[in-house]
Parts: sequence; structure tokens; C-alpha cells
Amino acid sequence: MPINVTKYLWKIYTEFTTRIYDIPPRMLGFLSFIILAAIPLMLDPAKLDFLIIANIFAIFAASWDLLVGRTGQISLGHAIFYAIGAYSTALLYIYFKWPLWLTIPLSLLVGAISAFVIGLPCLRVKGPYLALLTFALPFSVKGFIYYYSDIFGGDAGIPPIPDKLYEFFPMLSGDQKVIANYYLSLGLMAISAIILYKIATSKTGLTFISILDDELASKACGINVTKYKLMAFIISGMFGSLAGTVYAHMIQHRVDPLFLDVTYSVYPIIATIIGGIGTIYGPIVGAYIYCFLDRYLFQYIIPCISIPLGDHSISIPLGDKDVRMLLFAAIVVFLIIKWPRGIARTIVEKLEDLEEPREIEEIEKEKKLQI
Amino acid sequence: MWEYILIQGAISGIIYALIAIGFALVYGISGISNLAQGAYFMIGPFLYGVLKETLPDYLPNLSSNAILVLALILSCVITAIIGSAFYRITLHPLLGQEVNILIVSICVCIIFQQLILIIVEPGKTFMFNIGELLPGKLSIGNVEVLKGKLLAAFVSILFFITLAIVIKGTRIGKAMRALSEDIEAAMLMGVNVERIFMLISGIAAFLASLSGIFYVTTTTYNVSVWMWLQGLAWAFTVVVLGGLKSLKGAFVGGLIFGYAEIIIKKVLPQGGLIIQSFPFIITILVLLIRPKGIFGKRIEME
Repeated sequence: MPINVTKYLWKIYTEFTTRIYDIPPRMLGFLSFIILAAIPLMLDPAKLDFLIIANIFAIFAASWDLLVGRTGQISLGHAIFYAIGAYSTALLYIYFKWPLWLTIPLSLLVGAISAFVIGLPCLRVKGPYLALLTFALPFSVKGFIYYYSDIFGGDAGIPPIPDKLYEFFPMLSGDQKVIANYYLSLGLMAISAIILYKIATSKTGLTFISILDDELASKACGINVTKYKLMAFIISGMFGSLAGTVYAHMIQHRVDPLFLDVTYSVYPIIATIIGGIGTIYGPIVGAYIYCFLDRYLFQYIIPCISIPLGDHSISIPLGDKDVRMLLFAAIVVFLIIKWPRGIARTIVEKLEDLEEPREIEEIEKEKKLQI
Repeated sequence: MWEYILIQGAISGIIYALIAIGFALVYGISGISNLAQGAYFMIGPFLYGVLKETLPDYLPNLSSNAILVLALILSCVITAIIGSAFYRITLHPLLGQEVNILIVSICVCIIFQQLILIIVEPGKTFMFNIGELLPGKLSIGNVEVLKGKLLAAFVSILFFITLAIVIKGTRIGKAMRALSEDIEAAMLMGVNVERIFMLISGIAAFLASLSGIFYVTTTTYNVSVWMWLQGLAWAFTVVVLGGLKSLKGAFVGGLIFGYAEIIIKKVLPQGGLIIQSFPFIITILVLLIRPKGIFGKRIEME
């Protein structure tokens, strides 16, 4: 009897020490969703902007990760989908004055169609060719936007597009509008995160991983590689343009060629590398960390760091946008050189390594108990 | 008209080939697609401008032309040192990991862009006038050509020939060719991979900064922080046109690109804005017809 009790206690102890990270991911996701939903109760609504941006970047980064981390099709010009979403919603608003619940699905559709059109020629090539092609893409589309400036508004962009939420809830004002925006973006983020995660873990997602691992072998297994690559491209483009649409409506209120800027192609890369490439939840976590550091901590809390060096000190103005961009680019380079396989995977592997010796100990203890 | 297209197209094509040849060299030998070439395309003219302003204070005896030449050479050499140092720090540990190399090198570009933004004028769009290298015009037949452009084309051809001789004829060139065939076998034969790759990155950075200086001093006269994007887009187009691993391809691709640009400028007089997008259109067309570029070899099952 006492032996059984100690065995049971030992089992509970090992459960808590070795498998602490083994909480079901569904539970973790739900918990973090609740925490995120409760944040507006604690935070000043005027500073809530960074969380709305984090929600949007989470969608964007997760869509990039599905294409690059899961399928291995390197896209360095994901800003193109961001801009397609933003421009399509703005044009729909300007010419038809349609409400938000119609323009969001429509711009998703536009994103999917344009991803198909772009993907058809781009996916004929692979590796560095694809990366170079996608990198040159936003830069080239900019030329068209300047050329047909009577439609796209040229450099000045398309005049202010209002927050459509205002039409739904006319009684909202000021801070309440920000909070409503936050919940809408959070909901969209949760839905698209679930959809992307489900896709990534489904049979289609397994096919994506097989293409990432060995294209030739998956061809030999009878997988239509081109079809699945195109599928990944379309899904990724769709969610990328969703992010662009929401960003144009909630934050920017104005659509100009800056949406095609290289920084918008770099944001999802930063978020994904911070969170861990190849896991759909990694980029989402990374987007929150990045936006918290970039748009809240360094902007409001510690805008300036001074490092004492002998007599005088060097001060780094972190409040400056350019300095922060430099800092994050350097962080990404450092993280990749330090952990080339991605942070999330490295941590999980370390934990598994930690677990294995414990299991051996466990087996030995059990043997002793049996004896 | 025809003479104009023939001569101008050839000259600008050679400058484009100079932009691309560093990229093709690095990719052909080490298999690294180093996007940081774009950054060196921008750093070169920037350093040149800074040196041109500051050198006369330190060397008051030199004539203005000597200062220009000294600034040109010094800025290219400094960029080459930066290039090989950055290769060693950032890309060498990642050899063979394609996605990581692309991400790291684009981040290196961003780092340089932000550094220049911060150093020069925080928070503002940065333009930096560096003027002409060789003012004046020369007429060939009845076509007027900028002297600076002629000089650029001449120097570029000189560098192409030197590069070809080095790769074909010398011991280091032999090592480079061996590395492009098989890295591990070359290592077993006693080739110092690290040193050769650093050397190649340095040469590529040198050529990129030289082409940047030639480009800026003959066309825009202004260094802007965003010009690395343009240089990179051109380099891609030219290299993809010719085939990624081929130096000959980069040269021919540059010529095709130059002619195409001149013809588009003649056909569409107000199409200056659409010039930006036509690299992409050309690339798409080429890749639809020949996915490995003109001189690229088709890699069957690896």
C-alpha cells in the first residue's frame, strides 16, 4: 500500500516536472485568447493601437510562414499581397461604397485570384530564382501604380477611407471605437489562425511538408507538386491580403505605394524568425512580441537607452523608428546565426532531450520498485 | 535613330552587366544568393561622396582629378572589405541553408539602409548629391554620348577581361572553379574554402560598389537610401535572363536589358514611370520560355 502511494506521488511529480510544456495546444491557445480579450480592460485605449497592429501582423506572418516555413517556397515580396488587399478594399470603397462585410470577402477573393495569377509563372522556378522574382515583384508593381495614377492615386495614394465599423455602430465614439476595432481584429486573427493551423496540420499540410523536405520524392509518390505549391501560394496570398485590408481600414486610413515597401515584406520575416519558423503558432507569438517591443515598450516606456563608456555615454534613441528597424534586423540576423533551425524547434528538441534521460531514470526507478 | 539605339543600348547594357556580374560570380562559385550586393551598390557611391568631400582636407596637395580617382578606388576597396567581413560574420555559418541565407542577406541590406539613414539624417528621406565623375559629352558618328558613360563602359570591359583571365588562368581561379563543381572535394584537395569565399565576396562587393558609383555619376547624381532596391532588381533581372551560374550569361543578359530599356524609352516617350516594372515583365517572359535563363544549365535530379 505505501509503495503504491509513493509510486502515485512520484508519477504526479514527474508529470509536473517533465511534461509542463505538454499542456494541450488548444488549451494554451484558448488561454492566450482570453488574456488578449481581457487586455482592453487594463490598458489605456489610446495605446491599444499596437495590439491591433499585432493582430494584423499575426495574420500576415502566419500566412508567410505557411508558404515559406511549411512549403519551402521562398517569398521575399509578401508585401505585394498586403498591398493588393489594401488597394482592392480602397477601390471598392471609392467606386461602390460597399460596406465592410462585403469588401473583406471580396478583397480576400481578389487576393486569391492575384495569388493564382502571380503564382502560375513564379512557381515554374524554384529556390533562389523564386526568391529573386518575388522580391522584384512589389518593386515592379509600383511602376504600374505610378503609371495609372488616375486610378490608383499615384504617390499621394487613395484618399482617406474611413473606419467602416462606424457605420455599424453609430453610437460608438472615440475610445469605444478603438476597443471595437481591437475586438474585430482579434476575432479575425483567431479565425484565420485556426484556419491556417488546421490547414497546416491536415493532410494538405503534410503534403506541403513533404514538398519542403523533398520535392522529387513527393513527385515520385504521385503528389501533384505544382498544384499543392499553387494551393499554398493562394492560401498565403488570401490571408496576406486580408491583413492588408484590415490594416488599411483600421490603422492607415489611406492606401499609398508605401504598402509595397520592402519593410512590409520584412515585418512577417521578423515576426516569424522571433517566434520560430515552420510552426504556424510561432509567427503569431512572434508578431505579438515584435509589436509589443517595437510599438509599445521602445516607443512609450524606454524611448532612450544610454550606455556609459568611460567619461561619456552613448545614447541609443530607441524612440526613433529607424533605429528600431535597424535593431530588429540585427536581432533577426543574430537569431538565425545562433539557431539556424528556428527557435521553436530548437526549444522543443532541447525539451525532448531533457525528457529522455528522465524517462530512463523513471524506468530504472520502476524496476527498483518492482524488485 | 538606329545608331542611337545601338550605341546607347550597348553602353548602358555594359553598366547593367557590371551590376549583375558580382551576383553571378558569388552564386556561381559558392551557391549563395547574396542579396547584400544591393547594399554594396548603395554603400559604394555613398562612401565615394563622403570621401570626395573629406579627402581634400587631409591631402591638400593633390589636384581635384587625383582626389576623384583616389576617392573612387578607396570607396570600392572599403566596400570590398565590408563585403568580405559581412560574408564571414553572417553568411559563412549558414552555408547550404538557402532560406536562411536569403533572409539574413535581406536583413543585412536593411541594416545598411537604416545605418545610412541614421548616420546622415535621422528620420528623413535621404538624398546625397555626388555630381559627375567626368563631365562633358563626346560624339560618335552623330550620336552624343556622355563621357562618364564611355569611361564606365571601358572600365567595366577591363574588369570583365581581368576577371575572365583570373578565373581561367590563375591558381586561385582554378580553386574557384573547383569549388563551383564540388565544395567537399575541393576541400579535400586542400582549397581553403573560407578564404576563397571571402575573396569572392570582396570582389563582388568591389564590382557592385563600382557599378553603383558609375550608375549614380552618369544618371541620377543622387544617392538615395532606396537605390539598393533598384540595383538589386536590375541585378536579378540580368542574372535571371542570362542564367544564374553563368558569367557569360550575365554579360549577355546585361546587353539585352540595356537594349530593351532604350527601345522602351524610344517607343513609349512618356513611359518613364513604367520603366520600373519592365524588369519584372522581361523576367516573367524569359522564365516562361526558358526557366533556367539563356545560358543556365538545366540541373536534372540532384
